[in-house]
Amino acid sequence: MNPTRPGLRPLAFLALLAAFVLPGCVVQDQRPMARVAAERATTEVAEDERLDVGVRLFDPNVPESEEEQQERRIFPEVRKAESRYVPLLIRDTLEGTGQWGQVRVLPREGTGMEVYVDGRIVESTGRELELDVTVSDATGRTWYRKTYKGQADTRAYKDGISKPRDPFENVYATIANDLLAARRDMSKDERVRIRQVADLRFATELAPYAFGSYLARDRKGMYSPVRLPAADDPVVQRVQRVRERDYALIDTLNEHYANFGANLDLPYTNWRKYSYEELEAEALAKREALTRQVLGAVAVVGGIMAGQQTNSSAGSAAASAAVIGGMYAFKSGLDRRAETKVHTESLKQLGESFQAEVQPMVVDVEGRTLELKGSAEEQYAEWRRLLRELYENETGLPATAGAAASVPSPRQP
Amino acid sequence: MTTEDRRAQIDRRFDETFAVFDGRMRKEQETISQERASRAGSSGQGGSAGEAAGDVESGDGPGTEGAGDVPEGEGDAGSAEESGSAAGRGESAGQASGEQGGGGGVGGGGPKGGSGPSTVPADIPDGRDDDIVARQLREAAMKETDPELRERLWEEYRQYKQSTQ
Repeated sequence: MNPTRPGLRPLAFLALLAAFVLPGCVVQDQRPMARVAAERATTEVAEDERLDVGVRLFDPNVPESEEEQQERRIFPEVRKAESRYVPLLIRDTLEGTGQWGQVRVLPREGTGMEVYVDGRIVESTGRELELDVTVSDATGRTWYRKTYKGQADTRAYKDGISKPRDPFENVYATIANDLLAARRDMSKDERVRIRQVADLRFATELAPYAFGSYLARDRKGMYSPVRLPAADDPVVQRVQRVRERDYALIDTLNEHYANFGANLDLPYTNWRKYSYEELEAEALAKREALTRQVLGAVAVVGGIMAGQQTNSSAGSAAASAAVIGGMYAFKSGLDRRAETKVHTESLKQLGESFQAEVQPMVVDVEGRTLELKGSAEEQYAEWRRLLRELYENETGLPATAGAAASVPSPRQP
Repeated sequence: MTTEDRRAQIDRRFDETFAVFDGRMRKEQETISQERASRAGSSGQGGSAGEAAGDVESGDGPGTEGAGDVPEGEGDAGSAEESGSAAGRGESAGQASGEQGGGGGVGGGGPKGGSGPSTVPADIPDGRDDDIVARQLREAAMKETDPELRERLWEEYRQYKQSTQ
């Protein structure tokens, strides 16, 4: 047997260590991300399946502590903008499938639809998007809660001005497909009930004295229709006319949101694109710095050990070379680590600059929607008053909230 | 006054308020349309910010994942299945090393940290055609007080501008 020479052991150890550490630097094959498509309707969708969907503005989920904001690279105004932008993309995706009725973005407290999509932004960078999404309906039933997480499809960053897809379109398509699957799990009766409850809740909100008894609410807060008002009920007919205005108001709000989205689109895409590049570069610099430092340190230690154990001049020279090489590698690791600071700083500056750009857009859309809702509130108050007068005129009864409705000939659901 | 008369009176009030509301919505939508038209006009002349082609290659990572599912209330309409797990990975090129071969310094090279923040190197264009990314880089570089960081930001700016030519 020819035992391994002692001087070679440290070198063998180095080779082994390198085998573990170096793969971190290897550039892997690049494969395009598979695209998820939102399922489109290929045949006419039945009336009871075309539920109206309201996508409420998302919770921007901005930590109160500025320290935490900085640590997690959260720019509050950017998040506020995203909490409006993400629902717009969900709306567009759902609308594009043709599987639903009206799909509208709603304010945070918005009501009047049949299905609601609520969400919270967990993480949003140019590289990753994570959303907590809750889907519920007018009856109060929660369809599901789910966390969606996706990596950016960087082809969207290449497509430039004609970009056909958002980098996180897979996330939106998946949400649309999940929503569709949840609806398909329901029976026709369930879907019809959702619509009835939505109509009755709207009517009850306007004229509780007339419609309060038509709806039941259990201990869990779930609504169910007790009976339905007659279609020729004069109060019902006026409520329907008010509802048409409610839809018009929501449509107008959506025009504002759409304008906001269109204004934000290009700068936001550019910001995400550049952030993506910086995040990737930062991660790469960190990985390389670590690799070089570890290898450098190991080479120095190995070289010293080999130098102590060898008697030959060749072995001694190799050991010295390993020490010098190791020192050089360690130094280059330190230099590489310093580069991460550049990328970190660049990300901060990019975020602050984009935040300054987006803030007036957010203020503008917030102001306009508040103004619109404010002036509509006055009209709603007037309509409530008129409905009350109409109810008293038709029934001869005082309009007191919660009173059993005595509107003519109610029909059963 | 009869019930019918009173109903007619209330309906007239409804019609009046509906007309006011409809007019308000129409006006609001006209304003929005005008803004959209003016934006479309200005973006038509605008620069090609969106065409800026950073060398970003295909994405890396697990695509889209769904996690967790907490049904609530009655029924279980939830779609519990995990959603697509599109695989793919990639690298960001163009940022990774970014070292440019340096030409020999004919002019002898001035002092490295000589310029303070807000000064723009001589070879940097005036920025009139900067898109948003270039503008952000320029602003970041001009605000930076650390000479080394500042030079790197200017270098990023140069590279970005080159990539958008």
